[in-house]
Amino acid sequence: MDKHKMASGRKMVIRWSWREIWQGQLWPVMAALTLIIACVVALSALAIRVEKVMTDHGRSMIAADLVFSSANPTPELILTEAEQLGLTKSEQIRFQTMAFSDSSMQLVSVKAVQSSYPLRGELILIGSNAVSKGSLQPGELWIAERLFSLLGIKIGDQLAIGDLTLKVSGKIASEPELTYNPFRTMPSVFIHQADLGKTGAVQLGSRVQYRTFFKGDDSTLKLLQKVHPLQTGERWISEGNQGRTADLIIKAKQYLSLTILMVILMAAVTLVLTCQHYADSRTNTVAMLKSMGAGRRWLRQWLLSQVGLMFVAAIVLGSLIGLGLEALLRLPLAGILPDQLPGYGWQPFVFGSAVALLIGLPALGIPLIRLLDTSAIAVLQAQTVKPSKKGLWLIAAPAIAFLLIYGANTLVWMVFGGLIALFVVLASASYVLLHLLSKAKWGPAMSLALSRIKRSAKSSMMQLAALSGSLMLVAVIWLVRTDLLSDWQETLPADAPNVFAINIAPTEQQAYLKQLDDNQIQRSSAYPIIRGRLTEINGENAKRSADNGNDHINALHRELNFTWVTELPDDNPVVAGQWTDQKGVSIEQSLAADLGIKIGDKLGFMVNGQAFSVPVNSIREVEWQSMKPNFYLIFTPDVVKELPATWLVSFRINDQKLPFLNQLGRNYPTVSLLDLRSMGGKLQTILGQITWSLTVLAGVGVLSGLLLIFTLLRLSLNQRQREITLYRTLGASRKRISQTLWSEYGVMAIAAGFVAVAGAELIVFSLLKWGFKLDPSLHPLMWFTLPFLALLVVFASLMSVIKGLLKPLK
Amino acid sequence: MSKSVISNETELSILKDITFDVVAGETVAIVGTSGAGKSTLMALLAGLDIVSSGEIELLGQPLSQLNDEQRAQIRSESIGFVFQSFLLIPSLSAVENVTLPAILRGEGEDIEKAKQLLASVGLTGRETHLPAQLSGGEQQRVALARAFMTQPKILFADEPTGNLDEHTAENIIELLFEMNRDHGTTLVLITHDTNLAKRCDRTLSIHAGQLQEV
Repeated sequence: MDKHKMASGRKMVIRWSWREIWQGQLWPVMAALTLIIACVVALSALAIRVEKVMTDHGRSMIAADLVFSSANPTPELILTEAEQLGLTKSEQIRFQTMAFSDSSMQLVSVKAVQSSYPLRGELILIGSNAVSKGSLQPGELWIAERLFSLLGIKIGDQLAIGDLTLKVSGKIASEPELTYNPFRTMPSVFIHQADLGKTGAVQLGSRVQYRTFFKGDDSTLKLLQKVHPLQTGERWISEGNQGRTADLIIKAKQYLSLTILMVILMAAVTLVLTCQHYADSRTNTVAMLKSMGAGRRWLRQWLLSQVGLMFVAAIVLGSLIGLGLEALLRLPLAGILPDQLPGYGWQPFVFGSAVALLIGLPALGIPLIRLLDTSAIAVLQAQTVKPSKKGLWLIAAPAIAFLLIYGANTLVWMVFGGLIALFVVLASASYVLLHLLSKAKWGPAMSLALSRIKRSAKSSMMQLAALSGSLMLVAVIWLVRTDLLSDWQETLPADAPNVFAINIAPTEQQAYLKQLDDNQIQRSSAYPIIRGRLTEINGENAKRSADNGNDHINALHRELNFTWVTELPDDNPVVAGQWTDQKGVSIEQSLAADLGIKIGDKLGFMVNGQAFSVPVNSIREVEWQSMKPNFYLIFTPDVVKELPATWLVSFRINDQKLPFLNQLGRNYPTVSLLDLRSMGGKLQTILGQITWSLTVLAGVGVLSGLLLIFTLLRLSLNQRQREITLYRTLGASRKRISQTLWSEYGVMAIAAGFVAVAGAELIVFSLLKWGFKLDPSLHPLMWFTLPFLALLVVFASLMSVIKGLLKPLK
Repeated sequence: MSKSVISNETELSILKDITFDVVAGETVAIVGTSGAGKSTLMALLAGLDIVSSGEIELLGQPLSQLNDEQRAQIRSESIGFVFQSFLLIPSLSAVENVTLPAILRGEGEDIEKAKQLLASVGLTGRETHLPAQLSGGEQQRVALARAFMTQPKILFADEPTGNLDEHTAENIIELLFEMNRDHGTTLVLITHDTNLAKRCDRTLSIHAGQLQEV
C-alpha cells in the first residue's frame, strides 16, 4: 500500500482530533482538565513559595538552616561529616557572666561568634556615627541597647567581660535567635570567638552552651543529623521545632495541602460529568463509523489520539494559566514576599499533570471504553443499553495514588469519611424534604418543578450531590481558614504584652504597679517569683525517677521559676484535679505527662537550701505562646509565701508611652525591663503574612469552587434543551417554563445549601478538633450565607443560559 | 431468517421467516409503513445486527457465523451507506468526510479521488466547507460521494430523501441512480415512497414482519 497515503491518513486523523477538541464536544472536558492543572500548578507553586518563605522566616529566627546545641563542644564526627557534605558552618559559644563598667555591673548573656555569624537572618550592629554592619571582627564588643543605661556607658567606653576588657564598638540593633522566655532573656553581648579565651569565663565545669550553625540543602542536612545519635543535653534545632513560628508553619502547611485537595476534588466532579456528557454526545458518530466498517482497533486509536492531544494541550495551557494565576495570587502578597522569590522548580507542573492524568484516566476511560461498545445498529435505531461494568478497574489508578500520598494523613481521611457519611445521610434527608415539599400546595410552576425533581430522582440526586458537595468543600476551605486565624489572633492578640518587668523587690511592688495603673498601662497580674528545683517525686529522687527514659527533661536539670496565687490565672484551664486554698501545687500538663505525675502525687522541692514537699492538687493547660507570664508550677500561698521572692509583671507599651518606659527604668534601676517590642512585632509580621497567604489561597479555592459549580449547572441546563423545546412545542409559555426552571433550580440550591452547611460544620468540627487540635465552634452566619450563595450561583448560571434555552421555536 | 427482540420482558417478533435473494448489480427497493421493520431488515442485511434465526449470506459470507470485527471488515471493504440524516462529521470538511471510508480501511487520504467524487455530485468549489456551511441537499450529496469513495459492491440507502424537500429529493435520487449505474453497484433502497421504489428493478414490501414481492 502507498506509504505516503497511509501517512496522510494518520495526519488527517490527528487534524480531525484537534478540531474535535475545539469544535466538538470535547472542549468542556478540556476546560475541566485545564482548570485542574491550572489550579494545582498555581496553588502548589504558591504553596512551595509560601512554604519556603515561612521556612526562611523560621530559619532566620535560629540564625541557620539547622543548629546543633550542646553543653559540650560539638562532636568532631558532626563537624567532619559537615565538611565532607560541603555544608557551611559557624560556631557559637554562649554563657552568662557579669559585665563590669567603671561604675556598674550587670549579668549578661555573652555570645562568642565567628565572623560568618549569622548564616541566616539579620544581625544589625550600629557603631559610632550610626554606621551599621552585619558581622563582627576580633577585638569588637557589641552590646544590647539597654546595657548602655544599665551600665551607664557609651560607645567607646571600656567594658570588662570576665578577664577581657574591650572598648564598646556599638549597639545590637537586631539579632536573630530571639527567645520569648522572659526569664531567659538577659541582655546580649557579642564578642568574636577569637577573644573568647581571654575572658577566662569558659573553664572546666562552667555552664556553657555550644552551638554550631549549619547551612545547606535540606537533604544534606538530613544526612548530617543521622551521623550522631543524640546524647543527654544535646539537640538539633530547626525551624520546625523551635518556638512559636513552628506551630504556625505546620498548621499553615496542613491548610495548604487541604485546600489543594479540595480544589482537586471539586474539579474531579466536574471532569467526571463533562466526560460522561462527551461520551454520550459521541454515540452516534461511533455507531456511524462502525457502520462504515471501523474496527475496534481503529476506533480505539482514534479516541486515544483525541484524548492524547487534548491532554497535551490541557497540560500546556493549564501550566501557562497556572503560572499566570500564581503571579496574580502573589499580587496581594507583594509587600510581604521577599524581592528575590524562591523558585519552585518542576514540581508544580509534574504534580498538576499527574493529578489531571490520574483523575482523567477513570473519568474519561470508563465512558470511552463504554463508548467503544456502542452497537453499529445505533446509527439506524436508538438503543437502550444497560451501563456495563467495563473499565471500572481504572478507578484503581487515582485510588492507589490517593492512598500512597494521603494514606497517613488523618485530616484527609476525616474529610473523605465525612463526605461519604454525609452523602448517605443528607441525600436521603433532602430527598425526604423534597418529598414533603411536593405534598404541600404550590402554584403550577413550583408543582411542575417539584414533580420533575421527583420524576428524575437519580439525576436530580446526582446533581444535588455534586452541588452540595462542591458548596460544602467551599465552605470548609473558608471556615477552617477563619477558625485557624481567629485562634492565632487569640493567642497572639494585637494588644499582647510586650514588656516584662522582673526582679521587682517586694517593698517596691505596690508602688510599681500603682505607677503603671496611674499611667493607664494595660498590665497582667503581678506574680511573685521564687527560684528552686523539683527534687523528689513521691519521696524518690526526681532525676532517678526520671531515669526511666525521662532524662532529657530539661526542667529537672535547671532551676525553675515558681509562683504562688490564691486563684489560678483565667487562661490556665484545669484539666485534672481541683485548685485548693492550701497545701497544694498545680503542675503544667506537658511536664506532668513527661514525668508521669498524677493528682495526689507528692512533689519535693528545694528553694534556697530549704526542702519541702506538697501534693499535686491540679494539672493545668498553659498557652506557652501567649506572651504572658506562664509557670510550670504554681503553689497555694501557704506553701511558699514566706520564702524570699521578687515580683514580675508584664504590660503593653505603645510608642506614645515610650518616655514613660524610660522614666520607669530610671525610677526603679534595680528592676529589669525586658523590651520584647521588636520580637512581638516580628511575630505579628509573620502572622500577618500567613494570614494573607491563607486568605488568598482560601479565596482562590472558593472562587474556583464556585466557577466549577457554575460550569456544572450550565452543562446540566444545556442538557435540558430538548425537553424545553418539547414543552414549548406543546404550547407551554416562555413565562411558565422560565418560572418552572427558576423554581426547580431554586429549590435545589436551597436544599444543597443546607446540606452543604450541615456537612461543612461536621467536617470543620472534626478537622479542628482532631486535625488542628483547636477548639471547634459553630458558625451560625454560614447557615444563612451558604444557601444564599448557592442561590446566587444557581441564578447566575440560569441567567447565563436561559435566553438560549427559551429561544423562539423555528 | 427471523428477527425478534425482547421488550418489556415479552418477545416481539419483527421479521418472520423471510427469504429472498438480491443479485449483483440489481437495484432493490424495500417499502413498508413506519415500524414495519424496514430499517431492521437493512441493519441485518448490512451486518449491523444479527438474525435471531436463519442465515444471511452477504457476498458469499454467512453473517451469523462472523464476529463483530469480521462483519465490520466486510462493510469497510464492500459496503457503502447513505442515511436519512446524512451523518456527516461536523468537524470535517466536505472533502475530508468523503475520504473517511478510505481512511477507515487504512488506505490513507486520497484527496484527488474525493474531489472527483464531489465534482461528480456537483460540489466543485465546496470541498473545504464544513457540513454546517452546506444545505441539507448539499450535505446528502457529500454523503453520496462518501458512499462511493471505496467502490462498494453494495450500497444501502436508508430513506435518503426523508429529510429533504421534494425538488432537492428528486435531484438526489437522480444522482443516486446515476452513480449507481456508473459504478455498477448493487443498491438496496429503504423507502416508504412507492414512486421512488418503482425506479428500482424490484420492490419488496414488508408488512407485519412478512415480506412480499410487489
